Amino acid sequence: MKAAILIASLLSPLAVAGQCDTNTGYAKANYTVTTDAVANKQHTENAFTLWRTPHQVAKQNPQFIELWQQLRNQQMRPIRYFQHAQRGIEYQPSEVQGEQDWSAKYQLVSNALLEKMTLKNSAGEGCELTEHYQYQQAETKIELTWLANQQLVKEMRISSPSYSRTVALTMVEHNKDAVTAQFAKWDNFQTTDYADIGDNESDPFLAKMINLGFVEHGATGFYDAQGNQLQSEHQHHH
Amino acid sequence: MKINKIASAIGFTLALSATANAGVLPDSQKQNEWYSAAEAKLIKKEQVAQSEQAFKAKNVILFVGDGMGVSTLTASRIMAGQMSGKSGEEGFLSFEEFPYSAQIKTYNVDAQTPDSAGTMTAIISGVKTDVGVIGVNENIERGKCATVAGNELITATELAEIKGLATGVISTARITHATPAATYAKSADRNWEDISDMPADAVEAGCEDIASQLVNFEKNLEARFVGTDVDGLEVVMGGGRRHFLPKDAAFNSADAISEVEGDRTDERDLTAEWKTLYPEGQYVTDQAGFDSLNADTKRVFALFNESHMQYEADRSNDIAGEPSLSQMTSKAIDILKNNDKGFFLTVESGRIDHAHHAGNAYNALNDTVEFAKAVQAAVENTNPEETLILVTADHSHVFTIAGYPKRGNPILGQVVAVGKEAPTLAADGMPYTTVGYANGLGFRDLGDETDADASYNDAAFAGRVDLTGVDTTTPGYHQEATVPLSSETHAGEDISLHAKGPGAQLAQGVVEQNVIFHIINQALELIEE
Repeated sequence: MKAAILIASLLSPLAVAGQCDTNTGYAKANYTVTTDAVANKQHTENAFTLWRTPHQVAKQNPQFIELWQQLRNQQMRPIRYFQHAQRGIEYQPSEVQGEQDWSAKYQLVSNALLEKMTLKNSAGEGCELTEHYQYQQAETKIELTWLANQQLVKEMRISSPSYSRTVALTMVEHNKDAVTAQFAKWDNFQTTDYADIGDNESDPFLAKMINLGFVEHGATGFYDAQGNQLQSEHQHHH
Repeated sequence: MKINKIASAIGFTLALSATANAGVLPDSQKQNEWYSAAEAKLIKKEQVAQSEQAFKAKNVILFVGDGMGVSTLTASRIMAGQMSGKSGEEGFLSFEEFPYSAQIKTYNVDAQTPDSAGTMTAIISGVKTDVGVIGVNENIERGKCATVAGNELITATELAEIKGLATGVISTARITHATPAATYAKSADRNWEDISDMPADAVEAGCEDIASQLVNFEKNLEARFVGTDVDGLEVVMGGGRRHFLPKDAAFNSADAISEVEGDRTDERDLTAEWKTLYPEGQYVTDQAGFDSLNADTKRVFALFNESHMQYEADRSNDIAGEPSLSQMTSKAIDILKNNDKGFFLTVESGRIDHAHHAGNAYNALNDTVEFAKAVQAAVENTNPEETLILVTADHSHVFTIAGYPKRGNPILGQVVAVGKEAPTLAADGMPYTTVGYANGLGFRDLGDETDADASYNDAAFAGRVDLTGVDTTTPGYHQEATVPLSSETHAGEDISLHAKGPGAQLAQGVVEQNVIFHIINQALELIEE
């Protein structure tokens, strides 16, 4: 019964056409994030890699990795790893509330957003089944190219009068061994409980990483049901 | 002149009679409830002082609220009262009604503001030591394994074992965390909780990680004192399973959070080793296992969480369920009572400290309220004539109660002045809260989030925020801080000791923290010269 629920939760309600025999539960996907601000004509480009197993998702930036583990009680547990120092900070599981759903982590766009979007057309089949969605809210327009049977964003463009942002998939692999090995590598990093930081301020790593402010307020690549960029784990509770 | 005479008369006669000068007091004073209640309190204290002359106890229970400074006590008692519909200020936490108390100086040998490792070592061994080290004296060099030998201290827990008492340690933190560890371990670094946390040279030099020392407590104690025969800790309850299991998913418990729960890199399963050593004992990991324990249980090793146990407010979110601190305390006493010689139990509320570090007053106060319930459970489950109960903290936090809020103002709320309904505005034109922190991460509003650690995502933000319309009483509200730091810090001020039972009379005045050990020792006669 639990297994059935799990499988159901991992499948997009819209992913029904054809079959994809590849084990898409294990993925390494490279993305670019391009942002153009209209007012100052500023153009920025970032890149990240999305790693996932059925119950873990990691978003890897050059400096750090944000990893979420899906627990059996549907809570999510975040861990932040720092590549250079090979250290990590572990947090307690947080309740999944409102927009904080696993699908938004697992596939970059939440099932709730997908359900609100309008399917314009589809092409291909099996693993390459590609669906094109659109959604307009006020002056913000979202266009999504969705690899339905891989549960992956191929491209998502968000445009408004003030800016446009495109998240584009540049490469994806479904190599279970490689993905599992990467998560195991991070798991071997020395970790500290967030709750213990207060008793370890003499630790040079913790002092440096925390005092620098390791939270990126830029493009996270995760979007809620309104197409808003998720800035952080808990900013949507209030 | 007349006032002076009256004052002198009161001064001379107060000790002899509380009513000799009653005639000079107006009825409005004599019949005032504040006056009569305080008078009754003093009479009760006189009676207690005359009747409680016993100094020797059969049992001692040492309660430690980690980071539970005096401002935390005050705010918690107000919150406890307000949770039951009262104004709050007039109430007492259970242990605040104990007849004796002392003020405790907490500094470490090398630190003005201390940490839990140094302070708990002082409490449990009678010797102040350096910050960050456990069960060793100040001649240690933190992190240097070679400096441990010859500098180990013996603790009240170990002495109680040698005396033949039943012994136990409970914590809502990892059981290998500094405070509980100080009862049973000797370590050059508080962070050496399992072998993967230790530098290679320390392992090669023969230093033993803290989790291993817990399981080998009996063997190590007998080796240290040749000829002694002890039977080991009867009760161990807390978090920290990760430090007892191999780094192998095959050893994951049903309560596992991580993909691989264990951290140990030496392939040892310390839970299995414990079960082999104590076949009569019960190893439990969740609420169901806890519920299966009863007074017939001979010995228990309970690890309820991979890391720290949940905040009291967050317990319902645990996967397999966890008992509360008061439930653990009651169960521990039921088991330890089986020893006719008596018992020595240490109970720590470990997460008051963590909530304060996160700048989240709600969880610090809520865990303190639960801590007070645990003390009350101990009071109700023991004979007061034979059990000394000590309640203290290891150190304080930079947590303040400020402004001029009116009576009954929500302790976590914004300051509303006497006679007013709207929040008082500061000089910057914005409202402010009664409780706050001198340093730390600062303001964040996480609403109904019950996990105090959920504030991690933003960097420290010191200073003022317009709190107009913000509900500052929610579990997820994190108070403003003055100085931006990654984590709110301990404070160097004194903390309290509350005492009840035989030997409690010695808890008086302003004393060094290591005196607490001697109060325990005196009551249990652990060291017979």
